[in-house]
Amino acid sequence: MFQRSLAVLGAVAGVCGLATACGSRSQSAHTASGSGGGATVVKIGLDAPLTGGLQALGLGMQYSAQLAVDLANKQQAVPGVTFQLVAKDDQASASIGEQNAAAYVADPGVAGVVGPLNSAVAQSMQSVFNQANLVDVSSASTNPSLTQGPNWKTAKTRAYPSFFRDITTDAVQGPFAADYVFKTLGIHSVATVDDGQTYGVGLVETFSAEFKKLGGQIALAQTATANTTDYSSVISAVKSSGAKLVYYGGEYPAGAPLSKELKAAGLNIPEMGGDGNQDPTYIKTAGPASNGDFATVPGAPLAALPSAKDFIAQYQAAHFPAPYAIYGGTSYDAAESIILSVKAALAQDGGKMPAGDAFRSQVEKAEQAVSFDGATGPVAFDQYGDVGSKVITMYKIENGAWDQGVYSGAFAG
Amino acid sequence: MSVTVLLQLVENGLVLGAMYGLIAVGYTMVYGTIQLINFAHGEIFMLGGFGALTVYAWIPGVAHLPLFAALPLMLLGGVVVAVAAAVGAERLAYRPLRTAPRLAPLITAIGLSLALQQVVSLWYRLPGGGNAKAPVAFPSFGGKAFDLGGVLVQRADLFTVIAAAVCMAGLAWFVARTRSGRAMQATAQDPDTARLMGIDPDRMIVVAFAVGAALAAVAALTQGLRYGQISFDMGFVAGLKAFTAAVLGGIGNVRGAMLGGIVLGLAEELSSGILAHFRDTAQYGQAWADVWAFVLLILVLLLRPQGLLGERVADRA
Amino acid sequence: MTALLNDEALLSVEALLSVEALHVAYGRVEAVKGISMRVLPGQTVALLGANGAGKTTTLRTLSGLLRPTAGTIRFAGQSLERVPAHHIVRAGLAHCPEARRIFPRMTIEENLRLGAFIRGNEDLGPDLRQAYERFPILGERHDQMAGLLSGGEQQMLAIARALMCRPRLLMLDEPSMGLSPIMMQQILRTVAELKDAGTTILLVEQNAQAALALADYAYVLETGRIVVEGTGAELLADERVRVAYLGEG
Repeated sequence: MFQRSLAVLGAVAGVCGLATACGSRSQSAHTASGSGGGATVVKIGLDAPLTGGLQALGLGMQYSAQLAVDLANKQQAVPGVTFQLVAKDDQASASIGEQNAAAYVADPGVAGVVGPLNSAVAQSMQSVFNQANLVDVSSASTNPSLTQGPNWKTAKTRAYPSFFRDITTDAVQGPFAADYVFKTLGIHSVATVDDGQTYGVGLVETFSAEFKKLGGQIALAQTATANTTDYSSVISAVKSSGAKLVYYGGEYPAGAPLSKELKAAGLNIPEMGGDGNQDPTYIKTAGPASNGDFATVPGAPLAALPSAKDFIAQYQAAHFPAPYAIYGGTSYDAAESIILSVKAALAQDGGKMPAGDAFRSQVEKAEQAVSFDGATGPVAFDQYGDVGSKVITMYKIENGAWDQGVYSGAFAG
Repeated sequence: MSVTVLLQLVENGLVLGAMYGLIAVGYTMVYGTIQLINFAHGEIFMLGGFGALTVYAWIPGVAHLPLFAALPLMLLGGVVVAVAAAVGAERLAYRPLRTAPRLAPLITAIGLSLALQQVVSLWYRLPGGGNAKAPVAFPSFGGKAFDLGGVLVQRADLFTVIAAAVCMAGLAWFVARTRSGRAMQATAQDPDTARLMGIDPDRMIVVAFAVGAALAAVAALTQGLRYGQISFDMGFVAGLKAFTAAVLGGIGNVRGAMLGGIVLGLAEELSSGILAHFRDTAQYGQAWADVWAFVLLILVLLLRPQGLLGERVADRA
Repeated sequence: MTALLNDEALLSVEALLSVEALHVAYGRVEAVKGISMRVLPGQTVALLGANGAGKTTTLRTLSGLLRPTAGTIRFAGQSLERVPAHHIVRAGLAHCPEARRIFPRMTIEENLRLGAFIRGNEDLGPDLRQAYERFPILGERHDQMAGLLSGGEQQMLAIARALMCRPRLLMLDEPSMGLSPIMMQQILRTVAELKDAGTTILLVEQNAQAALALADYAYVLETGRIVVEGTGAELLADERVRVAYLGEG
């Protein structure tokens, strides 16, 4: 019923969003027609969970995209165009995300959207974006089916021509983790727990498939809803299963209590998660017992990348109220890619902004062709809308903090 | 499946059930006095947790005390906040609707529940500027669990069970042995006649709200200690489960609420734990824990529509 | 004893309860349409009438469960029209309600203790002993649930409970209703004993013969109005009363 109440709130928020979107339609038309001298305003949307359990990650996405927009305006990246970031909170709810998507589509000033974070939210937003040819670049949703279609394991087909992402998928993240557990840690028996959501289930699936292929044993597989904090019966089962590691598919608000309770129950085995677990709050909640836990994050560690130096320096100089977190680099690059696509689309028409739908189609075409060196490395999209990068980093908690990455590399499969 | 594992599941179930029971008492007491299902009770529970955390985080020195010394202070903070919120809600939201149709206070309760969540999410602040939009860390016991022949009893588990036992004993004494307790029972059984005895029904309703809130605050403290975090939305699931426990035990019956809580906790842990233990049934384990809990509720209500302990004596009048 | 006083003496005695032009309505339906009545200290006053005449409504208004739309109620020198029910009992007006309304899921003794709720933490030993002497069956079963008692025993409990607050005026609403003839006799005997002991009683009773035999003074209600009033003896002799309520004619 909480979901339902959220949906009600979402519906209300959505209606308000639509109302403001309609309001701004006339406003932007006014700006466009009144070509007296003011710059054309092009809006870039940002959808992420800005409140709720994943807020820390969502705010990092928002401020990083904001940084890209601010820099583009300062440097006059597209002459005559002022970019404006329109951030919307999806509270990690698919239905609210869908309302937000509708609001973006309804505003003709929006040229592209960055986000969302959750794969389940991305799923619900795409049909809305796709109908309007509105580019969406996710910097955090890692479920493979978003780009490669529901049958991505056997027959890849592009699901949505308007959807792109500049982050490595779980098709790489899960197997990378399995490979590390089996070969580097030498652990051959693992228990998996997922949260029943698109991201968590997908991650565990790809992990388990690769782990079994390597000859490992999945001693126990359990699902615990995302709002669970009581894992006592799961832990009893893990204990008797003899597993030497728990692989968790989900996000840290539910992943951290799992680690805490595992250790409290006398099970001194590490928990490993995906990017959803890699957050300082995870350590704060799970306490000292979390030392030795692992989490994978798509991409190389930002701090160690020469290409990210500039981004990090600018981000810190801007004094945003929250750190860029793990999706900062990809969110910055995603916003940058849309800015470049807008530039390319405008160049095609001799610097003039084409009317309505034609403009969005041109931005979509330009996005497919975009190629630049971003904070996370080279950014270019393949025929499914994914970046070529297959780099993943394994992080470990040491002395009460996430380390700088115990191992970073590409997974070949 | 070894006996130790089974006993561990029973231990888990008892602790979880004790917590459900503490919250369930609030639903049942308010229902008993004014036939209102106070859907905001889960949020009263949540506020109890934040009240306790506030004492820990904001009062200088408390965080440096040993946890067992800080606990009474935190409990006091939690109880004060929860009781104030519950009594305030009764006075400002429910009392003006006392004579309105049944649906009006019910919808008010749901609205209040959403509002309280949002208030905490938007405005709660931790020292250093942290907010409560995401789950916030709650202090928890250090040290190892007690090992009873392989069955582990966490320190927080022990605290939960002792707190629940003390609260229930206190409540039983209050209801059965004190003048106010008897007056409250009388109001629940026959409000008009209770007035003829000189009992002020408004006061009894306030007492019901306050006692329920105090117990919910105790439950919130145990929840924080066990899981190491509290969140603005934790009242929803806990409230739903506790409400289920209250119905299971027979709504309106205080002992039934506690029994319902324990039965529900045991059912959840045993069903999910046993199913998760065997390879062939593992997929029906934790993922289905709520399903088994509600299957149990439906079965009990089919066999005993009044709940386990509901209405033991027929009203002849 | 008051029956022995002459009219002049009656007027000189300060009324314990005096009701003037009382109106009570349920929504737009008026149930009591201007009743005036008096109860003197030590008197037993009966209120007679058919179902729906407004007897129970009158008692519920006197004890504060209902609010009058107009009129005054003075009890022991105090105006009661706006006083909430739980304060009225403190003034000394006890109401033993229709259908007994004992608390079924509490023991007999708990019921009695609730009757003395307004007396706070006073020692109730003597009062409990008195109640058990008056109704030995209650004493024998004092720790049983009240809901397990028979109808007549519940009526005894209801009367005993009302007496626990040591009222200045005891209002009894249909105490013999729904009881076996033997039980009815016993309850009416109890009322007579209470009267003899000097208790001031306002009695609503369907058994008009018995009520008039007990009452010093009586009022007959018809659709919310007093149609006849007089001493018990006068009404027993009244033609209209004999036809309408005593089944004669």
